[in-house]
Amino acid sequence: MSTDVMELSNVSVRYKSRKSFFRHDYFTALDDISFTIRKGETLGVIGPNGCGKSTLLKVLSNIYGVDEGVVKWNCRRVSLLSLALGFDVELTGRENAVISGMLLGGRKRDILRKLPEIIVFSELEEFIDKPTKTYSNGMRSRLGFSVALTMQAELILIDEVLGVGDGRFRQKAEEAMSRKIQSDQTIVLVSHSMGQIRDLCDRVLWLHHGKLKMIDTPDKVLRDYNHFINS
Amino acid sequence: MFISRTHLVEVFLTKLIFNLKSEASKTYLSYAWWLLEPALLVAVLYVVFAIFLSRGGPHFIVFLVCGKIPFLWFSKSITNSSRSIIAGRGLINQAAIPKLFFPMLVVFQDAFKQVIVFAFMFVFILYFGTGISWVWVSVVFVILTQFLLICAVSMVVSAITPFLPDFKYLVATAMMALMLGSGIFYSYKDVILPRHQRLFLLNPLANLIKNYRQVLMEHTLPDWAALGGICLFSLVLIAVMTIYFRKTDTIYARLVAQ
Repeated sequence: MSTDVMELSNVSVRYKSRKSFFRHDYFTALDDISFTIRKGETLGVIGPNGCGKSTLLKVLSNIYGVDEGVVKWNCRRVSLLSLALGFDVELTGRENAVISGMLLGGRKRDILRKLPEIIVFSELEEFIDKPTKTYSNGMRSRLGFSVALTMQAELILIDEVLGVGDGRFRQKAEEAMSRKIQSDQTIVLVSHSMGQIRDLCDRVLWLHHGKLKMIDTPDKVLRDYNHFINS
Repeated sequence: MFISRTHLVEVFLTKLIFNLKSEASKTYLSYAWWLLEPALLVAVLYVVFAIFLSRGGPHFIVFLVCGKIPFLWFSKSITNSSRSIIAGRGLINQAAIPKLFFPMLVVFQDAFKQVIVFAFMFVFILYFGTGISWVWVSVVFVILTQFLLICAVSMVVSAITPFLPDFKYLVATAMMALMLGSGIFYSYKDVILPRHQRLFLLNPLANLIKNYRQVLMEHTLPDWAALGGICLFSLVLIAVMTIYFRKTDTIYARLVAQ
């Protein structure tokens, strides 16, 4: 049985933007990318802004199709961790937690069971039955993060959402997410924090202008990446 | 691919209930608008045609209700679903949800509200109309036929608008044309030349409105052949569009993000 949860072979993704009525511009976000994701590993993705990291996560989560190449999934549930997914400001915190959890891949009964835990973690006990339009941005982020933390999937894709909220909550959130990442869960983590990548990842993939520059252990990739950035 | 069918149905139903609640909480009169809006629109037509223009005859208000209420259901569902995939871009770019989810959510939301509107419409016709008979039961088939037609047309318009945003203007124009061309405030038998009446009834909405009136005002069973034709047309369109959405699903996320 394969230990790879996903295989990408020669994947390319292009964006089309309209210049005039009949003319379009094309931008290649991912260019001939091939790699595999191994079961149980945490794969870090690094690269400068605009190098295709977020596009890659959308391909892995099957939100985007590819223009060329093949993506082969050997797992059934892949989720892109998104804070406040599907939140509606008119609904209460409790209702938003339920729908957001369901959109992240959870079953309703499981989310309802985890709801007390979500409410306690988000520290929103007295506000949970109030519409989220009355929440501050920080409160909304706390609720979104607490829901996302309970997400279960065979492969979780995380795009720069390791910490939210004020200083104390941020530390708590980072610790909780780090625990989740360090478990047996298979994770792809996009981050600009080299410290997080070094501490949490088993392998690192470096993207540059949509091309796969390197994929190897964190020490090797970060050494070459830093050298490249500083040169 | 990543959400099972049961899970998708669960998400759909939960979102449906929450959306209805959310929509109602945006206004002071809340759920009352589900009834007030169609009532006000019928009232406007009545004032213009029955009072200012002295048109219509006995039971003209019932005649208007039988035309305007089904038209409003069709028009609102199609207009809302034409924008549904673009409006859902936030969700589409964060989760792998079948895109058919969005127009169908709109269609079911509007259908749920319409059930309540129809309930009040039947009470209204009972009070102001030509009485009730067992034939009224057959109106269920007219309603179901219209529901299938709405599903089919919604799928088509929701699929086109993300590719061609200008299409929403055509949808608005088409709704205006349908309002004028479906016999809402006139009887096609009095206005349309006999040789053109069959052509007029090829418009499925005009045909449905004719059938609503036939059942609720004339106490005559609906035109089964016409209903069957509309159902068949709708089911074929639904099947084609379901296959289309299945094949093109991942195209839409990039399309609405660009």
